[in-house]
Amino acid sequence: MKRKLSLLLAVVMMFSIALAGCGKKATDSNSDASQGQQTDAKEDKKEDKQEKKVDNPASKRANAKDTLIIGMTEAKGELLPVYYSTKYDAFIVQLVFDGLMTNNEAAEIVPHVAKEYKVSDDHLTYTFTLRDDVKFSDGTPLTAKDVAFTYTLLADPSYDGRYKSVVREMVGYKEYSEGDATELAGIKVEDDHTISFTFTEAKADNITKFDMGIMPEHHYAIEKGNIQAIKDKMQAFDLVGSGAYKFKKFEPKQFVELEANPDHFRGEPKIKNLITKFTTAETSLQELAAGSIDVQLQVPSNNDNLSQIEAPGYLDIAKYPANSYGFMMFNVRDERLADVKVRQALVYGFDRAGFIDLYYDGNASVLNTPLSKVSWAYSDDINSYEFDPEKAKALLEEAGWKVGADGIREKDGKKLSFVWDTYTESKYVDTLIPLLQADWAEIGVKVEPNLMDFNAMVDKVFTQQDFEMTNLAWSLTIDPGSNYTTFHSSADEPDGNNAGGLRDPEIDRLLEAGSKEFDFEKRKAIYQEFGKRMNELVPYMFLNQGDQWDVYNQRVKNFKATSFCDWTYYILDMELVD
Amino acid sequence: MIKYILKRILHLIPVIFIISICIFGIVKLTPGNPIGSNLDPRATAEEKAAERARLGYDKPIHIQYIEWMKRSIRGDFGESYLYKRPVNKVISEVIWNSFILNVVVFILAFLISIPIGIISAVKQYSKTDSFWTLFSLFGISMPSFFFGLLLIFGFSVKLKWFPINGMINPGSTTTGFARVLEVGHHMVLPAIVLTISSLASLVRYTRNGMLDVLNQDYIRTARSKGLSEKVVIYKHAFRNALIPLVTLLGFQIPGLFSGAVILESIFVWPGIGRVMVDAINQRDYNLMLALMMFFSILTLLGNLLADIGYALVDPRVKVDER
Repeated sequence: MKRKLSLLLAVVMMFSIALAGCGKKATDSNSDASQGQQTDAKEDKKEDKQEKKVDNPASKRANAKDTLIIGMTEAKGELLPVYYSTKYDAFIVQLVFDGLMTNNEAAEIVPHVAKEYKVSDDHLTYTFTLRDDVKFSDGTPLTAKDVAFTYTLLADPSYDGRYKSVVREMVGYKEYSEGDATELAGIKVEDDHTISFTFTEAKADNITKFDMGIMPEHHYAIEKGNIQAIKDKMQAFDLVGSGAYKFKKFEPKQFVELEANPDHFRGEPKIKNLITKFTTAETSLQELAAGSIDVQLQVPSNNDNLSQIEAPGYLDIAKYPANSYGFMMFNVRDERLADVKVRQALVYGFDRAGFIDLYYDGNASVLNTPLSKVSWAYSDDINSYEFDPEKAKALLEEAGWKVGADGIREKDGKKLSFVWDTYTESKYVDTLIPLLQADWAEIGVKVEPNLMDFNAMVDKVFTQQDFEMTNLAWSLTIDPGSNYTTFHSSADEPDGNNAGGLRDPEIDRLLEAGSKEFDFEKRKAIYQEFGKRMNELVPYMFLNQGDQWDVYNQRVKNFKATSFCDWTYYILDMELVD
Repeated sequence: MIKYILKRILHLIPVIFIISICIFGIVKLTPGNPIGSNLDPRATAEEKAAERARLGYDKPIHIQYIEWMKRSIRGDFGESYLYKRPVNKVISEVIWNSFILNVVVFILAFLISIPIGIISAVKQYSKTDSFWTLFSLFGISMPSFFFGLLLIFGFSVKLKWFPINGMINPGSTTTGFARVLEVGHHMVLPAIVLTISSLASLVRYTRNGMLDVLNQDYIRTARSKGLSEKVVIYKHAFRNALIPLVTLLGFQIPGLFSGAVILESIFVWPGIGRVMVDAINQRDYNLMLALMMFFSILTLLGNLLADIGYALVDPRVKVDER
C-alpha cells in the first residue's frame, strides 16, 4: 500500500514538473507569456520572431542563391505521366514533362507543346500542329511520334495506371487493348509535327484529355503488352522529358531534386535547382520561419496558422479557393431522405456558416452546388440556404413529420433519426459532430455519428451502398463535365460514384446535353441550369469550398498558384531575390 | 545444442504457416479494399471491377492464399499497389533507416539503463533510486509527439543546434564519413526521444533482476565470507541478474526493425513505420502481408534466440536433447 501511494505521488510530481517545464519555456522566450499551457510553446515562436525582426534566414541557407526548396506532402515516386496518382507526384511530372495542351487561370484549355489545333466539323477529330522547337532533355526533338506513343501506352493491354479513360473513347481502343491490332486506329501521325485523334463520340470535354505529359518513344519504347519495361524505368527513376526541369534524384520519403533545363522551349527557368522536400504538418511552419524551406504548399487555413505566418515578417500567402468541396451525402434511396423537402429542411437547419467560422476561422465559403465558385459554370443565381431553423421546421411539418414524444419528428411510425457514417482521426469531423447534432436536434432530427476507418467507410458507402448519410469531399476538375460520373443516374450502381442514388431525369438530360454541346455560351447556360437544379434537389448538403494557402518566403519573387493552375504553371516567372 | 536449435527451427515452420493463414485471413477480411486508391476518383464501376479482376481479388480467398503463398515462398511478395514498386524494394528502401535509428537507441538505452538499474537496486529506496524511478516514469509517460516537438522547438528552432527534421539535408551531396556525420546530426533529437521513452522498462527490469538476486542466500554467503561489496555486486550478483536481460534482448529484436510512427512523422524520418500505416490505411494487401509476415518471423526468431541465449548463460536451464 505504501509503495502504491508513493507511486501515485511520483506520478503527480512528474506532471507538475512537466507543467512547470512548459511554463518556464514560455517565459524564457516570451515577455508577456501566459503560463502553464502547452500550446503556448507554439504561440510564442511568432512573438520571438517579431522581436528580432532580423533578416530572412532562408537567404542564409548554404544553397540559398540558386535553390528553391518547396515543402509538401510526400510524393510516392510514381513520376511518369502515365502513372502518377497523387497531387505531389503530379507536381514533379508537370515540371519534367510537357503536354500538348494545358489550361490557364480561367480554366480555358490552351496550347502548350501544340502550336494550334483544329476540330473537325463533326467534332470527332482533333488535329494538333506541334511546335518544332521542343526537345527532350537528351537532345532529341519531340515529334508527333512521341505523342502517338504516349497515348498508345494508355491503351496497352498491360497498362495498369489510372488514365485509361483518356483513350477509351478513341476509335480502335477495343481492337488495340483487347484485340491484336498493332496500332490504335484513332491516332494518326500525319507528319513529324502533325497528329490527329479521332473519338467515337463527340464530347465537349474531350479536349481536356490532351494534357498528358509526352514521353519520348526512343527512350521508353516497349513491345505491346509489356508495360513492365516502362515501370522498371520508373522504378529506376530513369526520367526523360522536355519540361522546364530535369529530374535529378528521388530520395524516398525525404525529397526530390530537380535541375533547370536550359534548353526548355519556353526559355530557361531562372531558378537553377528545385527541391521538393516532404514535410509534416506539425513542423512545416517552423521550417518556413527557420528558412529551411522557402515554400510550404497547402497550409491549413485557420487563424492559428495565420498568426504564425504573419509573425516573422518575411512570409506571404498565395490564397485561392481550393478546387474541391466537402459535403454530406444523403442516401436518397432511404424513404425519409427521398423527400426533397426533408433534404432541404436538413440544409436549412444546419448553420453551415457557423461551422466554417469555427473550423476554418472563416477562411472558406459555404457552397450550394457542386461547382467551384470560380468556375465559368458557376452562377450566383441560386438559393443560398441561409441558416433558418424556422423554415426547416415548416418544411418538415409540410412534409408530414410531426414532433414525437421524445422530441424527434416521426411519420407513419418512422423517425427522423439518422446514422451518419464518418471517419476517425479528422479534426474536421470532430468539429462537425457536435454542431450538427445540436442544430438538427433543434428542428427535431436526431443524428448519430458512426465513426469508422476511412477505407472501410468507403467500402460501405460506395460498394455496398448501405448507409443513410456520410460526409466526404470531392475534388473538382477543370471542366464541369466530370459531374456526369458523379450525378448521372448511370453512375448509380455498386462502386459507382453516385452512391447516394440520385436519379433525376432533368439532371440526366442536362448532363447529357452539356457533354455534347460545343458552343461555349450554350454550354455555360446548361451547366448553370444544372447547378441550379442540384441546388434545388440538394442530394448532398453542400458544406464548404475551403481556401487553399500556399505559404512562401518573400525571397521567392512571383510565386503564384491559383484554383485551376498549380504553382508549377508559374515556375518560369519565379525568381530568387535577396 | 545444435540438434536442439535445428529442432526448434523445424518447429517454427508449421507455426509460420498457421500465422500466415491468420494474417492473410485478417488482411483480406478487413472491410475496404485498395481499388479506389490507384484509380481516378471518378472511375466507373466497370473500371473498378476490371481492376479487381486484374489483381485477382475477385477469386475465392483460399485460391488467393495459395497463389500468394506460392509466390512468397519464392521470395516474390508481389508489387506494392500503393508505390507501384516491388514490395521487397519498398521495404528495403526504408527499413535500414529505421534500423540505424533503432540500433543507436538500443545501444544507448542498454548502456544507460543497466548501470542505473544496478545502482537503483543496490541503493534501494534511496534518493538516487527515487530519482531514477521518477525519471524513467517521466520518460515512459511523456507523449513522444509532445516531447519531440518540445525538443525541436528548443534545439532546432531556438538554438539552431540540430536540423528540424529529415535524415539528410535536401540536396546534400556528402559521401562517406561526412554523410555519416550528417545523418548522425539529424538523428540526435529522435534518438533522444526514443531512448528516454525506452529507458523506463529496461531500468525497471535491471533493478528488479538485481533486487531478486541480492536477496538470494548465496549473496548473503558471499558477503559473510568477507568479500568486498564491489566483488559481491559485480561478480556474483550482476552476472545472475543478467539472465532475464538476455530474454529481453531477444524480445527486442523485432523492435530493431520496426518504426515509431508518430516519431517518424514528426521528425520526417524515412522509416518503415509510416510505410506500414499507409499500407494498412490504403489496404495495400501485398505490402501489408509482407510486412506482417516479416515481423511475425522476426518475433519468432527473437524468441528462439532468447531461449538459446538463456540456455547459454544459465547453466541451470537444461536443453532437452532428445
